[in-house]
Amino acid sequence: MKLLFKLAWRNVLRNKRRTVLSGIAVGIGLASLMFVDGLYVGMLESMIRTATDTFLGQGQVHAQGFRDTLEVDKTINNSEAFMKSLETENLVSDFSPRTVSFGMLSSASGVNSVLLYGIEPDTERHISMIDEAVRQGNYLTPPGTGQILIGSKAAETLEVETGDRLVLTMAQAGTGELSQDMFRVTGIFHMGIREIDSDMAFINIKQAQELLALDRDVHEISLKFNDINDAGDRSLEFWEKYSEQDNEALGWKDLVPQLDSVIGMTDISILIITSLVFAIVAVIIMNTLFMSLYERIFEFGVLRAVGTRPVNMALIIFFEATSLSLISIIIGLGIGYVFMYIFSVYGINYKGIEFAGVTITELIYPVVRPRQFTVFPVLIFIFSFIAAIYPAVFAAKLTPARAMQKSM
Amino acid sequence: MQPRGEIQEMSGEVIKIDNVSKIYSTEGIDVHALRSLSLGIKKGAFIAIAGPSGAGKTTLLNIMSGLDIPSSGSVLLAGKYMSEMKDSELSDFRRDHIGFIFQAYNLIPVLTVKENIEYIMLLQSVGEGERRSRVAAILQQVGLKGMENRLPKQLSGGQQQRVAVARAMVSNPDMILADEPTANLDSATGVALLDMMRELNEKNGMTFVFSTHDTMIMERAKRLVLLKDGEIDKDEVRG
Repeated sequence: MKLLFKLAWRNVLRNKRRTVLSGIAVGIGLASLMFVDGLYVGMLESMIRTATDTFLGQGQVHAQGFRDTLEVDKTINNSEAFMKSLETENLVSDFSPRTVSFGMLSSASGVNSVLLYGIEPDTERHISMIDEAVRQGNYLTPPGTGQILIGSKAAETLEVETGDRLVLTMAQAGTGELSQDMFRVTGIFHMGIREIDSDMAFINIKQAQELLALDRDVHEISLKFNDINDAGDRSLEFWEKYSEQDNEALGWKDLVPQLDSVIGMTDISILIITSLVFAIVAVIIMNTLFMSLYERIFEFGVLRAVGTRPVNMALIIFFEATSLSLISIIIGLGIGYVFMYIFSVYGINYKGIEFAGVTITELIYPVVRPRQFTVFPVLIFIFSFIAAIYPAVFAAKLTPARAMQKSM
Repeated sequence: MQPRGEIQEMSGEVIKIDNVSKIYSTEGIDVHALRSLSLGIKKGAFIAIAGPSGAGKTTLLNIMSGLDIPSSGSVLLAGKYMSEMKDSELSDFRRDHIGFIFQAYNLIPVLTVKENIEYIMLLQSVGEGERRSRVAAILQQVGLKGMENRLPKQLSGGQQQRVAVARAMVSNPDMILADEPTANLDSATGVALLDMMRELNEKNGMTFVFSTHDTMIMERAKRLVLLKDGEIDKDEVRG
């Protein structure tokens, strides 16, 4: 067995050029797989971060049915008790209460309908990026009475700048009567997401609750988890616990289901790409083995003639495939590592592209995962072995006389 | 049609070929390489099978050794019918009973002299100590002591053929089949090689069967079998 492996290894190294070229071809396949996997994961993580960190949060609690209608009367049942419980919840790192209502902003030059959020400025900082997105003026400061943040697109429509006045009109809970108040533009934010920049505005939650006649009720509690994976884990008891009393606690997968679909689609895409790469690997390995076999067919005839059993002939081919795949894997890991490193430093710019309802706002960096350096190489090895079956059977079935033609 | 039956006693014959024919079909044309040929080879023979090109020499040797299967007739080697053996059994049989010397040496180019020689012993699961001592002894015998670690490409033609002879002999086969062993050698080297083989034949009683055009071999052979058109034209026993 040892000599057969030695024979196979030396045979692979006999034609170094062919071995290196085949190794590079297979190695590029492996490196591509590693890179695509890393890029997909990086892109998904960026999209999830964009979707959750921009404003949504990693999870939210609402009253049942609120998300469908945004009805001002549908406040979270027993919200204060919920928030008290969240303060000691191990899974949750931060949370922030919000009121959510339709409103109309009027300036001297125009009107703009908005989804108005009443926020606690201090807790909101830990959940969303509104504070970082302020480009002109300032973020809300407590108590924040009369302060309003509007988006860059809304500011254009209303033709206002920081310090200008706006009139906000909203419908109150319970009666449905309209309430109005005047605000001064404290800050103008720019998220780079059209819907947020034109359709959202923010005021202090206490003033919002007064205007909406909500007392101390809130419509939404936005959540941030210690581990983002928990936010996507539907099986956690957490969701059931905070869905009691006719409320509804949902993670980002349910809040942005199209993003969850993209993840599923990405897994299928990676599976398809993986299958294609492995098919190519199999063909390259098989072709290399056959070329090598045909070049040495007389030699193989001699091996059979001197008493090498058919099974040992097959073993020589399998060992050659093993040697070739090991060389290819080393090359592939090297190429893959270099590419991953380069792009993990410089990133890929997909900013502004909207995908599955999420606008990419940051550079995409491929993510290194253990499976890229373990599972993929092992699969390459296995597929090489499978690809060797046909040439191995061919070698085993060689008739010595035919292989050697004129001589014995 | 190949008869089946019990293993027969062979009265000192290492190989017995009985009424063997071999027909090759190529693009609808039948080529009769051997025609109802019968031949017995005794132990210790030093026999040359000669004839013009296309006479069937190589085919005869291939069939004798189980490298090819006759279209009809039987081949008995060391008391066993080859037709009753499976492919793996034939491989084992060749490994244990037959040594080959090919025209173009056919050493494995990526194995050293030592590894080429001990290859068959490894197939036979011979232990390391015995392999080492047998390799050393055979290298001494063929005049290649000290060249164990060289690759074939580092040897001359004559040296490579000596390695081929060593490989064929090291497992102590019943018979050595040599196809044009001197074809690629100069006459001096060829003579030296033949003398060595003749010495092995006389000292060890090893059976040698040559397929050859070489008059040097024909002159030294104890028996000369002339083939023509797939049949034995002449079978001459000398001295």
